Amino acid sequence: MKQLAIELNDVSVSYLHNKRGIYSVKDFLLKGGLFSPFENKHVLHNINLKVYKGESLGVLGRNGEGKSTLLRTIVGIIIPDSGTCKVSIPISPLLALGAGLELELTGLENIKIYMALSGKYQKHTIKDLIAQVSDFSELTMDQLKMPVKMYSSGMLARLAFSTVMTTQPELLMIDEVLAVGDKGFQEKCKKRIHEVKEAGATVIFVSHNPEEVMEVCERGICLKEGTIICDGSSEEAGKEYTKLFM
Amino acid sequence: MPSKIYLIYFLIYKNLQLKYKHSLIGFVWSFLHPLFYLLVFNFVFSKAFSNIPHYSLFIISTLIFWIYFSGSCNQLSQTFIKNAHLIKSLNVRKLLYPVSEQGTELVSFLAGFLLFIFLMFYLGMPVNWNLLYILPIIVLFSIFTFSIGLILGALNVFFRDVGILWNTLNPALFYLSPIAYSLDIIPHQYLFYFKLNPLYHFFYIIRNVLYEGNAPSLIHCVYSLIITAVCFTIAMLIYRRTRNGFISSL
Repeated sequence: MKQLAIELNDVSVSYLHNKRGIYSVKDFLLKGGLFSPFENKHVLHNINLKVYKGESLGVLGRNGEGKSTLLRTIVGIIIPDSGTCKVSIPISPLLALGAGLELELTGLENIKIYMALSGKYQKHTIKDLIAQVSDFSELTMDQLKMPVKMYSSGMLARLAFSTVMTTQPELLMIDEVLAVGDKGFQEKCKKRIHEVKEAGATVIFVSHNPEEVMEVCERGICLKEGTIICDGSSEEAGKEYTKLFM
Repeated sequence: MPSKIYLIYFLIYKNLQLKYKHSLIGFVWSFLHPLFYLLVFNFVFSKAFSNIPHYSLFIISTLIFWIYFSGSCNQLSQTFIKNAHLIKSLNVRKLLYPVSEQGTELVSFLAGFLLFIFLMFYLGMPVNWNLLYILPIIVLFSIFTFSIGLILGALNVFFRDVGILWNTLNPALFYLSPIAYSLDIIPHQYLFYFKLNPLYHFFYIIRNVLYEGNAPSLIHCVYSLIITAVCFTIAMLIYRRTRNGFISSL
């Protein structure tokens, strides 16, 4: 019996969008925006999605078709306008690369803050965790003691990915992180994602690259204009996605 | 919830680090900043208000609280905007950001305050057990400040001019609050309007304790309590009403 991890029922999400480009009170008065300066811009329409424990789901779609919004809804950052979203396992979100990294602080401090933010911080384990991060990311302790603003984008990706993987998430969400980082590290990440899957974790993987999705995931969905146009194996979703460009 | 406490601790730590990152003397600024103000006011006003005994103490007792207030409101009005990247990618209670911001300001205020205790003693502050009343007053004043800051912060997400407007009105509020002068000089017919300023009641009880060495006046304590309760309720209502819209406006 497969256990449900995520269940989305008829979920619709819209953003309050500034109809007339009103971002200040001056605009508000000048453009006569007294009658609702905001309008709803629909991003997701009636999404129905069931993800089971241990599944790996690839999410494909062009820019601005609602991929990140879908993830944010699952994480609970965005409350849907209608429909329900149930998540029955703890989540470790790595939504955007380097989100949550504070550039002025050192790598070590960033690791601690991330651990605290994801509720994994404990005094007696933090040393271990840092060692694991350092080990996986191949960043030396000296590098970790540098402010993050001095890192290259590849090093940032290593730090972010390793930190999240070290928290041993039951539900891993990856939003286009593999795009940066050198070939070797990309391979290492994919291997690690496989290991996490083997261990029974659920993976949601967002990418522009259908080959990557086919490689990492078994199941795939393809988003277009906020609706799921294809839900099947990752190969099917990949084909559907390539069709969008023809 | 120990993990929440770690989180607030780290956010405060982070804010302090960022605040004093590239400064040589760091924390000492929270002492020097009010001190410069004090010198200027002493220079400008001491002749005009020569009828007030211990004029330096008179100013400094409320001036440090004013700087705490305006600094906190300033920071809190930016708090959601500053942490946009976290709000967009982590499902943590958004209230933690303003709380930790207020915590940061409180820490640097207290650090400066400890030094000012000595200075105020030197300037003629009466020392007795009544001084302890300042602790609950600081707590109450912090909650009041937090409420105002939260209102500004939540609205600032949607209209950035809230923050700018606040910075513009800040000096006006400063001169309308009895910091460098006492209300005795205000003509009788305007007195009522001056007393509408919520800061007046806080400054009144702060002066009771730090300047006069008395217990705080009961009626002004009650006023301060009511003001804080009302502001806090309004702040939470506004925050609850707006928090789900933050994402689309950040």
